[in-house]
Amino acid sequence: MDILDSLLMGVTWADVQSWLPGFWNGFIISLEVTAASLALGIPMGFLLALGVQSRRKVLRLASLALVEIGRGAPALVLLQLVYFGLPSAGLSLSAFLAAVVAISWNTGAYTSEIIRAGLDAVPAGQREASHALGLSALDELRFVILPQGLRIAVPALMGFAILVFQGTSLCFAIALPEIVSRAYDIGSMYFYYFPALAVAGLFFAAVCIPASFLVGWIEHRAGAYARR
Amino acid sequence: MAYDLDVARMKALSPSPLGAPSASGSPAPEPSRPVIKLDHLSKSFGTFQALQDINLSVLQGDVLAIIGPSGSGKSTLLRCINWLEPANSGRITVGDLSLDCSKPVGKEQITTLRRQLGMVFQSFNLFPHMTVLRNVSLAQERTLGRSRREADEVSMGLLERVGLADKAHQYPVRCSGGQQQRIAIARALALDPKVMLFDEPTSALDPELGLEVLAVMRELASSGMTMIVVTHEMGFAENVSEHTMIMADGQILEYGPSREVIRNPQTERARRFLRAVNDR
Ligand SMILES: Nc1ncnc2c1ncn2[C@@H]1O[C@H](COP(=O)(O)OP(=O)(O)OP(=O)(O)O)[C@@H](O)[C@H]1O
Ligand SMILES: [Mg+2]
Repeated sequence: MDILDSLLMGVTWADVQSWLPGFWNGFIISLEVTAASLALGIPMGFLLALGVQSRRKVLRLASLALVEIGRGAPALVLLQLVYFGLPSAGLSLSAFLAAVVAISWNTGAYTSEIIRAGLDAVPAGQREASHALGLSALDELRFVILPQGLRIAVPALMGFAILVFQGTSLCFAIALPEIVSRAYDIGSMYFYYFPALAVAGLFFAAVCIPASFLVGWIEHRAGAYARR
Repeated sequence: MAYDLDVARMKALSPSPLGAPSASGSPAPEPSRPVIKLDHLSKSFGTFQALQDINLSVLQGDVLAIIGPSGSGKSTLLRCINWLEPANSGRITVGDLSLDCSKPVGKEQITTLRRQLGMVFQSFNLFPHMTVLRNVSLAQERTLGRSRREADEVSMGLLERVGLADKAHQYPVRCSGGQQQRIAIARALALDPKVMLFDEPTSALDPELGLEVLAVMRELASSGMTMIVVTHEMGFAENVSEHTMIMADGQILEYGPSREVIRNPQTERARRFLRAVNDR
């Protein structure tokens, strides 16, 4: 108890309440960055998944480079590269935009692998049946391969979405006022680092734990679909 | 009598020498011509020769059974015919379309070829995420340009024909293997193919379920469909198909009227194979 007392540093419930509006705003920003990054990143992942299998060499190599950098570089490095690096190339973005660009890139790179694996998991017989029926390559993708491949990919994509939300905490490094930045502000102002970070953690847990259960449930249902 | 009178009147109206033969009363039967013809078809996988110089033609309305030991190239032959595997050399002729396999062939020509051929796979390969009706209708809409309503109407007719109209709105996983294969047959028929190709359509099925598929295939044969059927069902080969071909090592070992080939094979290799089949 002594340790806990010393960690809480005498923070009262009233103190915590006074922080909540700021945390709430940070929480909204984290959600916004997550939503925007997924909305841009997953379609990008889809295009990259097709791109890396393209027969055109330029397209394939460009896609491969985007995927390898997006996956190979730590998200923190991508963030700083976009926020601090691009201005030297004459393009300066707000912290919010920089966060969205960097995390979308990261998302696109990872989800392209998830989506590719999903498409590859569609049995070869499905493609052969499409060919035998004279479907065009585009129709085959649209009506046969994508609906099945994406269904396979959904649980993994949702799992990745949770990671993206958690990953928005890195944006404190570019001074985006999201949840963790708020905790740092409070910490540096009153030296309440532990209590402030604990509250920030609760915000993440409130989203991530139910979401993980949801993913588990969907995975189970998806398995039931295959077994049905 | 009325017929004779009509003919007499027609002759009176258009006295032409061409009119003469029909006066005999029976119209001349349309001469059978090959719907599908393979010339010198060869296929290799790397250094392995899977098909060697296959020559074959199947007449309109004929059923050809292909039998032979595992690995003899039966599936490869069917897959080359509809270009699921591009053959290395030779010529494939289906109806008016004739493709030289040793030359590069355009996408449109491959699609044209495939639209004339219906394919039924051993493992059905229905689309699991679509209802039975959508399975049968999809390609009609996309490749024949039929409207959804037209396509569904055709599909319902075909599902009726294979005895599965009541399954139209179910998903394939809810159907037995035999039912799935009958749906796959309906799906292939929906594009009005000139020739139906079957690759061991009953091999994945329990014998009883196989029977219902064979019944549909018999009905199809008697309706005049041209069919090439890779099968282990000797009863079907002997009783339904006009001709039987025995393959071994990528070559045609024997070919002829089914009864002769099956009852009285000429080569020792064929006799050995047929003995093995009968012993099973
Ligand atoms: N894609 C491929 N790559 C390499 N070899 C292949 C390929 N497809 C078939 N083969 C080989 O070609 C030969 C003929 O195969 P095929 O599937 O046509 O035989 P089959 O007569 O249909 O046999 P089964 O009765 O077992 O179905 C086999 O030796 C097989 O290993
Ligand atoms: Mg085979």
